[in-house]
Amino acid sequence: MIKSSELDPNFKYEIAKEPGGENIKKCFNCTGCTVGCPLTEIDKGFNPRKIIRKALMGMRKEVLSNDSLWLCASCYTCYERCPQDVKITEVIGAIRAIAQREAEAGKIKINNPKPVFDNLFINSVKSNGKWYEAGVSGTFMLKTKGLGGVIGYAPMGLSLFKKGKLSILPHKIKGTDEIKKIFEEVEKK
Amino acid sequence: MKLAYYPGCTLHGTAREYNASTKAVCKAAGIDLVEIEDWNCCGALEAIFDKELSMGLSARNNFNAQDTGLPLITPCSICSHNLSRADTAMKTDPAFRAKIEKALGKKYEGVKIKHLLDVIVNDLGIEAISKKFTKPLKGIKSVAYYGCLLVRPSEVSKFDNPENPMSLDNLIKSTGAECLPFAQKTKCCGGNLLMNKQDYAFLLSKNIFDEAKARGANCVVVACPMCHMLLDGQQAMIEKAHNIVIDMPVLYFTQLIGLSMGLDEKELELDKNMVSTSKLIESIGREEVKVDVKAEPKAEKAEVAE
Repeated sequence: MIKSSELDPNFKYEIAKEPGGENIKKCFNCTGCTVGCPLTEIDKGFNPRKIIRKALMGMRKEVLSNDSLWLCASCYTCYERCPQDVKITEVIGAIRAIAQREAEAGKIKINNPKPVFDNLFINSVKSNGKWYEAGVSGTFMLKTKGLGGVIGYAPMGLSLFKKGKLSILPHKIKGTDEIKKIFEEVEKK
Repeated sequence: MKLAYYPGCTLHGTAREYNASTKAVCKAAGIDLVEIEDWNCCGALEAIFDKELSMGLSARNNFNAQDTGLPLITPCSICSHNLSRADTAMKTDPAFRAKIEKALGKKYEGVKIKHLLDVIVNDLGIEAISKKFTKPLKGIKSVAYYGCLLVRPSEVSKFDNPENPMSLDNLIKSTGAECLPFAQKTKCCGGNLLMNKQDYAFLLSKNIFDEAKARGANCVVVACPMCHMLLDGQQAMIEKAHNIVIDMPVLYFTQLIGLSMGLDEKELELDKNMVSTSKLIESIGREEVKVDVKAEPKAEKAEVAE
């Protein structure tokens, strides 16, 4: 049962203010996004229409803490087909950004390891200008699966290394100061 | 034709054979590539949901391309999406543009950004490049796999039909290789779920192989390093997870057309693919090619595209 007293009518405006979330209110709930979604095909529990509908209704906590928020593979099929130009893939991104801030503030808990990987990746770009594959993958495995995860990843890492596809050390670009300035500017709200 | 070149991080790492074959093919086709100075990561799939950061990182590369005065090309579908999206935002969103111009202390004029496939098929033209195809690739029965960001969203990618693209199909056919109808040509391989939902990523990729096998293909041709990472790099893991044999080479389209141009296999780095390409290459020019059909094909899925 949905209790209207528990709904947050401002949630849709909060999403619309986030980069990528601007068009959420255009959704008229037609389900075009969901019938073409490759994730829905393999997991009926993943339903982009419901994520948008619940967000519009103001089910803030449910939307932000539900694991399905992290299952979108950013394939842009829904984005392409949406008759209302909701830009669903980007709306999901906007909701993820809010969820990450809520998690950092200790208000919700995100169980999915996706943001852990993304943040490690982004931090490696922040310090080097390029992503540091061996370091990011190794740290991610250690953080989410422990030493066993690192050992499990080792054969793959080794075969990539043998083919000359994996560098042990990070590559740093010259303009890392410019990268830092970009981060500072886009992080300003 | 002279173009600015943005390889992107993977082409200097896991997708090194895409970088090598791109350079070799462009050289043979008379395209002069000028790698842009001190380029950085475009934000990839990891920052794609953080729209401003992804566009901000990409914009710096566009500035570096602008300095060359040349159109910018990249062989990576993700980079191409991110750089194009950033270019549009820099031209249409004054608040975003102000932020990035402030961070970098330069004025943005705009850059023409294209995927390498678009340049080869539409700017150079299939007719022109196929004149260089001296070795007919008879015996190759491929499916063209476009994946997601190469053609979607069409407001960013702009160069082919987002639901039923044909540019890669037509290019493959011009080499004398077969290119079979493929319902899943634009279906997601699950690349962005590899780290957090591996079983789903593997299932999505397995579905692609199931149909390719049912069609009678002996290889998959791709134009994106992330698709290649899943279909080639993770193929052994998918086989293990589903207890099946796939054993299907996955070639970058540049490797395929390079073969048809008669370029050296070493130069195209066909030995760097994780799934061996040697049996496929040996079979070129022979009448019948043996296809492994141990993975159970899903017949009903294969019928959709007809």
